Amino acid sequence: MTVKIKTLERQGSTFIEKLYLVEVFRGMRTTFGHFWRILLDNSKSYVRHYPEVKPEITPRWRGRHRLTTHEDGTMKCVACFMCQTNCPSHCISIEAGERVDGKSEKMPIRFEIDLLECIYCGYCVEACPMDAIRMDTGIYSVISSERSSVVKGMDELLATPGAFSEEDYKKRGL
Amino acid sequence: MSQLDILMVVLRVAFGAFIPICFIAIGVWMERRGAGFIQDRLGPNRCNIFGFRAGGLVQNLADGVKLIFKEDMIAGHIQHKFYFVLAPVLVFFTALVSFAVIPFADTLILGGKSYIMQTVPLDIGILWFLACTGFAVYGIILAGWSSHNKYGILGGLRSAAQVIAYEIPMGLAIVSLLVVYGTVNLSEIARFQGQLLFGFIPMWGVILQPLGVVIFIVAAFAETNRTPFDFAEGESEIVAGFHIEYSSMKFGMFFLGEYVAMFVSSAIIVTLFFGGYQIPWLATETMVAYAQPIAIVLMLLLPVITYYFTNWIRKNNVSHYNRQNDPLVREANVYIKICWILAAAVELILLTLVVINPSADGVRIFVVLLQMASFLLKATIMCFVYVWVRWTLPRFRYDQLQKLGWQILLPMSLVNIFITSAVVVALS
Ligand code: SF4
Ligand code: SF4
Repeated sequence: MTVKIKTLERQGSTFIEKLYLVEVFRGMRTTFGHFWRILLDNSKSYVRHYPEVKPEITPRWRGRHRLTTHEDGTMKCVACFMCQTNCPSHCISIEAGERVDGKSEKMPIRFEIDLLECIYCGYCVEACPMDAIRMDTGIYSVISSERSSVVKGMDELLATPGAFSEEDYKKRGL
Repeated sequence: MSQLDILMVVLRVAFGAFIPICFIAIGVWMERRGAGFIQDRLGPNRCNIFGFRAGGLVQNLADGVKLIFKEDMIAGHIQHKFYFVLAPVLVFFTALVSFAVIPFADTLILGGKSYIMQTVPLDIGILWFLACTGFAVYGIILAGWSSHNKYGILGGLRSAAQVIAYEIPMGLAIVSLLVVYGTVNLSEIARFQGQLLFGFIPMWGVILQPLGVVIFIVAAFAETNRTPFDFAEGESEIVAGFHIEYSSMKFGMFFLGEYVAMFVSSAIIVTLFFGGYQIPWLATETMVAYAQPIAIVLMLLLPVITYYFTNWIRKNNVSHYNRQNDPLVREANVYIKICWILAAAVELILLTLVVINPSADGVRIFVVLLQMASFLLKATIMCFVYVWVRWTLPRFRYDQLQKLGWQILLPMSLVNIFITSAVVVALS
């Protein structure tokens, strides 16, 4: 690969530019243009009126986690601890137990994610061999007045539906 | 002293004390909304009282309440608690009293007696202003030093060096102005600018002293510690500089002091260079003579202005997303009603002036009110320039600042004195 070199012209050495004042006025003209445009018509500002107008979430976007299930409603997770091992902020804690629904040998009996520590890196999703954990709920705001309710347990993670269809989710990033 | 004398003194002092304080609210509001607009945002516009947001002014109230009720603490390592507390008071107070000498209208003649429309009728005028603003920096240095914090000390030091570098060009710019005006009394300076040059150009300082304006305004920006010269604060370099250890209302005093200083230096720039309270081409005597035609013109202009202003409110005071029964429209309706009521009240006053031929005193008061309005309008525009520059220019580097002060502004102001003196001597 050849190295591409782009030579930038050095600004600020002409007499006019060294006078500052002319350039200052030119800068002020630019800012006043913006000021005047918004002053005359507020709706031209590049602002989303959150919280009334919600941002658009794409399938790629990493939101709050959920645990997925098979078609028959049994959970996909096999308690392999891959996600817990991978998690850089050690916020997943799993307790494995014997599986009773016959899908495999293990399943979690406790699965907790401490969202206060989670950095939403998505490593857990990538590490999972079963596609059992996903971050496609589209929930971007996790707020609470006490800490305990931000630690999400297995029931809540299983209950949350995904925000996108299976095809859209599979297509993400492509 | 008659009762009228006492009343006039009270009115003048009230004006001198309340106007700068009112302008804190306006200045802060202008700064935040102006910054928003310049950056294609909207600025604070959510705070409301019963749904009335007053264009975002209510936010100031909320911030004030927040500052007052925050914990007011003094860090344990601070040894000189007295100086630590004194510093913000000094900054605020000196900024406030420096407004005292600025004339906000021409001398009012009531019943053969004349009243100077200046909070404190001092003859030293501009010198008082220089003394007060020079003193304000002691507050900043004191704050930096008594904070016992390296960032604080750095902020204070920078401020001291900066003031030394910029007081000199400022003083020299004023010297050349004094050569032109021949007086240090600000009332007389403002009156001087009511004359016409060649019979058609208003004799404002900006026309007589184009170089002086540039030097003075640059130095005034440095004096008030505003971007691009906000080295004492320098958030990105020394955190918060001189006020790093301050919290609650002690910080609030610095904050308010900054805006008072901004308003006062706008006022002084207007007084020295932009004609003070003078309305171009309408000297006081002309206005007294033609009070009725002026009133009629105002009566015709007022509904037009109100019409466009209310249309602007109608257009912009709405929610920019789908919303049923938009409360902002209801809010806008109230504002529009208030605007028309105010306009009608002013029309009525003007009408009485036109219909019943008023006494000489009434006309004088009318003229003074017009001049006050003109002065406040000019000062507001100048405040906006402060805001505008702040959101346009980045901070200078420290060596650039000193270079600009010593190597460019100082020689320039000296040259300016020579040119001015030469012209004045040649003409006289
Ligand atoms: S997103 Fe990252 S931090 Fe959060 S649980 Fe998964 S691996 Fe851990
Ligand atoms: S969620 Fe996936 S990676 Fe984590 S324990 Fe279950 S199967 Fe393993």
